[in-house]
Amino acid sequence: MLAWQVLASQGVLAKNFPGSIKTLQELAWWLSDPFFNNGPNDLGIGTNLLISLRRVLIGYGLAVIVAVPLGLLVGISRIAESSVNPFVQLLKPFSPLAWLPIGLFIFRDSEMTGIFVIFISSIWPTLINTAFGVTSINPDFLKVSRSLGASQFRTVVKVVLPAVMPNILAGMRISMGTTWLVIVAAEMLLGSGIGYFIWNEWNNLSLPNIFAAIIVIGVAGLLLDQLFGLLQKRFDYQE
Amino acid sequence: MTSSAQTSSPTNQLGRRFLDAQVRVEAVSKVFSSEPGLFASLRRLPRTGYVALRDASLNIEKNTFVSIIGPSGCGKSTLLNLIAGLDSPSAGQILVEGERVRGPGPDRGIIFQNYALMPWLTALGNVEYAVESACPELSRRQARERAREYLTLVGLERAMHRYPKQISGGMKQRVAIARALSIKPRILLMDEPFGALDALTRSYLQEGVLRIWEENRLTVVLITHSIEEALLLSDQIVLMSRGPAARIAEVINLPPLRPRQRSVVEQHPDFVSIKLRLEEHLLNETRAVEEHT
Repeated sequence: MLAWQVLASQGVLAKNFPGSIKTLQELAWWLSDPFFNNGPNDLGIGTNLLISLRRVLIGYGLAVIVAVPLGLLVGISRIAESSVNPFVQLLKPFSPLAWLPIGLFIFRDSEMTGIFVIFISSIWPTLINTAFGVTSINPDFLKVSRSLGASQFRTVVKVVLPAVMPNILAGMRISMGTTWLVIVAAEMLLGSGIGYFIWNEWNNLSLPNIFAAIIVIGVAGLLLDQLFGLLQKRFDYQE
Repeated sequence: MTSSAQTSSPTNQLGRRFLDAQVRVEAVSKVFSSEPGLFASLRRLPRTGYVALRDASLNIEKNTFVSIIGPSGCGKSTLLNLIAGLDSPSAGQILVEGERVRGPGPDRGIIFQNYALMPWLTALGNVEYAVESACPELSRRQARERAREYLTLVGLERAMHRYPKQISGGMKQRVAIARALSIKPRILLMDEPFGALDALTRSYLQEGVLRIWEENRLTVVLITHSIEEALLLSDQIVLMSRGPAARIAEVINLPPLRPRQRSVVEQHPDFVSIKLRLEEHLLNETRAVEEHT
């Protein structure tokens, strides 16, 4: 912080680059009343954050709901694996933002498009990690379950799912990180949310506000990540 | 299924008390085939595979304790997996109580060397899972009651609520024993159950198993490479030759001394002579394995 302030005030970084004091002042101002609403181009930072969070949670939630069962299936069944894997390999490296025009064309709605982009970009890590987890289950667990006469379904729910839980959570954690990266970029084009806030402040040439937003995004991402850290600890059953 | 049992009429050389044998291994072979490489398939080379067992035949009587002993890599575990139904024979068949084995089932309990306890369940949870899977007609409470009963049988009533990572190897194996017994199997299959334990824990658990077995008889098939363990526990010792293409070399009946004690096994002249015979056989087989590879 101090180095930032010194470098900025000496003009080393760039002309008119804001120092940390100025940024923190702006941040404090934004946080003093985070939820005001003066029309679509003048929303409080908290309101914008909530808009982004909402999109992230819906898109990400849908992604998890699809990815976990699909990942289990892909891990269990060779046929499912060979039919899903090519699509995964093909679609995974596709830039999340390239989905934006496709989403806009299909849905003709920025909210739905935002959710769609989050969904499509966050589904892969969870899907791949889940499937990988299934293939690396200790085969003795499955042998035990089979020898006890447990049904296929019971084995999946009571043995495979808990055994893969650490992998699922690791995948979900990576997915969550991805969504947070994608939402900011996507919202610059979508017209609301924290990403749009940054774009708007760029148009206002208000760099301190951009830095304030970066700090807010960083802290929110950190908190979400920590949440997964706690969950992972809960489901870490190292023998 | 019963028809297949009738067609293979019990008239061959092992016909002694054949009809009431509970487990019948009939001329079983097991080949683990490796996928032929591109080169081999282009040149139409014959498919090669590892022959683990060749023409193994064995009868196990009801309520006997049978140990299968042999040099390492001789297909002992393969044979056990075949009886368990976790793997299917390449030739021959296995009958359990007159029915052909087609897959695993709760009439056969299995104990693995590495315990195979589910780390997300407590000791009680692991046994409960077994009871609930094998006996879906029981209520939750009855299943829990049964699980408690069997954990008490193996002396774990105070460690019931601990997770596998919180208990010692010996305790884990006792949980696994409780789990295997709790489904009331007619046959208990143990694959080197004490192999991963230290010597003291091993003898403690051997005596525990001996006591439980002598009080509640059931058919046990134990895979081991410890001669002392086989002598202490079994009625019958099945001696296998070295692999590949392992065979059953000999079946030795032990003197019916029950209840059995370690000191008796160490001093009784019959046991001592059997022990010497086993040692000689295993040493020869092991020497052959080591010098040919």
